[in-house]
Amino acid sequence: MTEKEIIEKTNKVFEEFFEIESERLKPEAHIFSDLGLDSLDIVDLVVALQKSFGINIRNEDKIRDIRTLQDVYQFIFLIKNAEGIKDS
Amino acid sequence: MQIKRVVITGMGSVSPFGNDVKALMDGIEHGRSAVRLMEGWDKYKGLRSHVAAPAEIQDERKIPRNKRRFMGRMSIFSAQAAEQALADAGISTADIPQLKIGCAIGSTMGSAKSINDAFEIMLPEKDISQLNSSMFFQCMSHTAAANVAQYLELEGYIMATSAACASSLHAIGAGYDLVRLGRQDIMLCGGAEEVHPTVTGSFDVLMATSAGFNNDPSKTPRPFDRDRDGLVCGEGSGVIVLEDYERAVSRNAMIYAEIIGYSTNGNGSHVSQSNKDSMVKCMQQALSDAGITKHEIDYINAHATATLQGDKEEAEAIKEVFGSSVPVSSLKGYIGHTLGASGAIELIASLQMMQKGVIYPTLNLENISPECMGIDHVMSPVTKKIDTILKNCFAFGGINAALVCRKL
Repeated sequence: MTEKEIIEKTNKVFEEFFEIESERLKPEAHIFSDLGLDSLDIVDLVVALQKSFGINIRNEDKIRDIRTLQDVYQFIFLIKNAEGIKDS
Repeated sequence: MQIKRVVITGMGSVSPFGNDVKALMDGIEHGRSAVRLMEGWDKYKGLRSHVAAPAEIQDERKIPRNKRRFMGRMSIFSAQAAEQALADAGISTADIPQLKIGCAIGSTMGSAKSINDAFEIMLPEKDISQLNSSMFFQCMSHTAAANVAQYLELEGYIMATSAACASSLHAIGAGYDLVRLGRQDIMLCGGAEEVHPTVTGSFDVLMATSAGFNNDPSKTPRPFDRDRDGLVCGEGSGVIVLEDYERAVSRNAMIYAEIIGYSTNGNGSHVSQSNKDSMVKCMQQALSDAGITKHEIDYINAHATATLQGDKEEAEAIKEVFGSSVPVSSLKGYIGHTLGASGAIELIASLQMMQKGVIYPTLNLENISPECMGIDHVMSPVTKKIDTILKNCFAFGGINAALVCRKL
């Protein structure tokens, strides 16, 4: 999966589940202070990302380090990349 | 302690006829039925009744997402009804922090759709990891009360009365006591409920639903009628504003009526079969609480859901207390049985009738059933000065409730 595909799919999650307009979805946007998510939304973000990317991330400790949208992209990229290495 | 007088200064509703009180009254005034054949209900094995009176969710995006995410259908209905009621009472949301204001919103259960969705997600693989964070808040029994309180940022008493079809009258009764005792100055009281095949199914397995009119939905339910064959579920929410009389007068609020009496009791005999004697006792206690005689009641808004036994028991109970001197009608023929919301929605409609001086008839009552005779059934609109009304609610669980309101 390319970085572009990850960004598009992740942004779609933020648009559909959290009703955030696409123009606000900038990589540097802080998901709490800029995009208005709270701790309960993170539970839903995990569920939505799992469904969207077909991954299981519920027990990943790195989720706690996510602050910006770029962190989300990076997190997914690492997970998908690790999957790719495992598969190969 | 000085017992305060309690008045109704605002009302709001979302009903199968639309999303305000005006739409509710337009539907009733024009004698329309909101009962429909429900698409897809034939896929439920064993479900005999495929009709219901659904409400339509409108303008839900006006509720901010961070509040709306915890709301199932019923909570959206009740948040909108509560907001309307508050506006109708002339109370600004900006004033809420300075007020002793709370809410009591009843329902049979949490959001039926959300509960069903949660189990459909969870049970096939016994996997809870796909459940989102808001599911619990939509499913919990006090979801409507909690969501109304969160939406309007209420900081007073927050209560959820759960007594099936008597839920919203219980909520009003609880609010009446809280304002009467001076514990709260204002209470938003009412109820909410959802249409869902599993809800109709719970009555269907007890053979309490209407199953003979799937091809002619507008002809059912038929309260007190010879050909009635059971209840039809409806959905929505009704919320009224209860306020300390002195406070309402001091701010020149429009007062719909004063609550002067309330009673609730258990039938002590059966969980699902209505019982005339306990209904009689409940209505008499409400009259006694109001300090009035039976001759002072101008209109009775019956519970009458069109079940065979329930209508018979209620008609006999009304006959025993009032004889045939007081006009009686049921509104279930128009909007179905909105269960936990029915007490509040039908009280709102009754208060509107009081304002207008007209009693609307029982829709679909064409031939009075012999066992329901002996009371003054309203079968066409009646123009009448209405000063005092009695509203009945009788619930599964063997719970009765009756409320008396008087115009000032």
